[in-house]
Amino acid sequence: MAASTQTHEQDSFHASSTRPNLVAVGTIVWLSSELMFFAALFAMYFTTRSVQGPEVWAEYTERLAIPFSSLNTTILVLSSVTCQFGVFAAERYQPRRNGSLLKISGWGMREWFALTFLMGAFFIAGQVYEYAHLVIEGITLSGNAYGSVFYITTGFHGLHVTGGLLAFLIVLIRTSYARKFGHKQATTAIVVSYYWHFVDVVWIALFASIYLVK
Amino acid sequence: MKFGWRLFVGISLFYGITTVIYALWAKEVVGIVALILSTCLAALIGFYFWFTDRRLGSTLPEDNLDGEIADRAGEQGFFSPHSWWPFVVALFATITGLGLILGWWMTLIGVAALMISIMGWSMQYERQ
Repeated sequence: MAASTQTHEQDSFHASSTRPNLVAVGTIVWLSSELMFFAALFAMYFTTRSVQGPEVWAEYTERLAIPFSSLNTTILVLSSVTCQFGVFAAERYQPRRNGSLLKISGWGMREWFALTFLMGAFFIAGQVYEYAHLVIEGITLSGNAYGSVFYITTGFHGLHVTGGLLAFLIVLIRTSYARKFGHKQATTAIVVSYYWHFVDVVWIALFASIYLVK
Repeated sequence: MKFGWRLFVGISLFYGITTVIYALWAKEVVGIVALILSTCLAALIGFYFWFTDRRLGSTLPEDNLDGEIADRAGEQGFFSPHSWWPFVVALFATITGLGLILGWWMTLIGVAALMISIMGWSMQYERQ
């Protein structure tokens, strides 16, 4: 009664400002189901690990290049930061930069998202490079149990990051088509950022359990 | 959303307590990991509902004990009136999956077509 007749200040994120944004709520519920998808992968990893015994794990985890993958992880974590700056720009309805490309404080959502895209692409390229090295060193998908769980867990994460890159492309194309940057475009940018942060957090957990917990 | 976040935070607490009991009892890592992530599943939704509830700052009709159905009237969001794109996406997802059985060439075609159709689906109302 009272709630629906009150006038609220227009919030960039909630169109009618008295209702939750359905797209955002739906995205979060979907992401929680994605969490269970990764729960299955983690469970598979730890089952195989306990069945195979510590010797097998010690032998293969020796071959992982920790410094390189740490660099890759840092890039992915920082891409979450740049993504969030893009969201701040989207929340003040600023799609494009005002000023030169070197003036970072004037960047709009598109510049920040383009930078995030490049960092995500760097991560994927790094992962492909790492896979190539591991295959040369004898860890393959069908070679042994360690190879299977390593490639399935990190590979599915890599596919998620690739999906996120596609989502960033879609946001960039959509905002270049849209004549004005409004609530709808801001929502798209924000839900893509939710997904990106989620994939980032999952990677931190994967990195910790695959590379660090030996 | 007050009821919503309390419900999910409650589920999360339940899973959290179960995790502790399971960890002390079974001492086995797979179940612990699965239960921790179940806790996170409920906590994620609970936190987001709580956060949205705070951000909106007003009592929603569904939380109002004296609320009427009519209180929910108004804009709910954007819903697609009609679209063939989901069918196209499903078709190429099928081809991508079939390719894993029949041959990698089919998967490659499927993935490329899938990406194009996803773009078509998400941009159908904004093309010029």
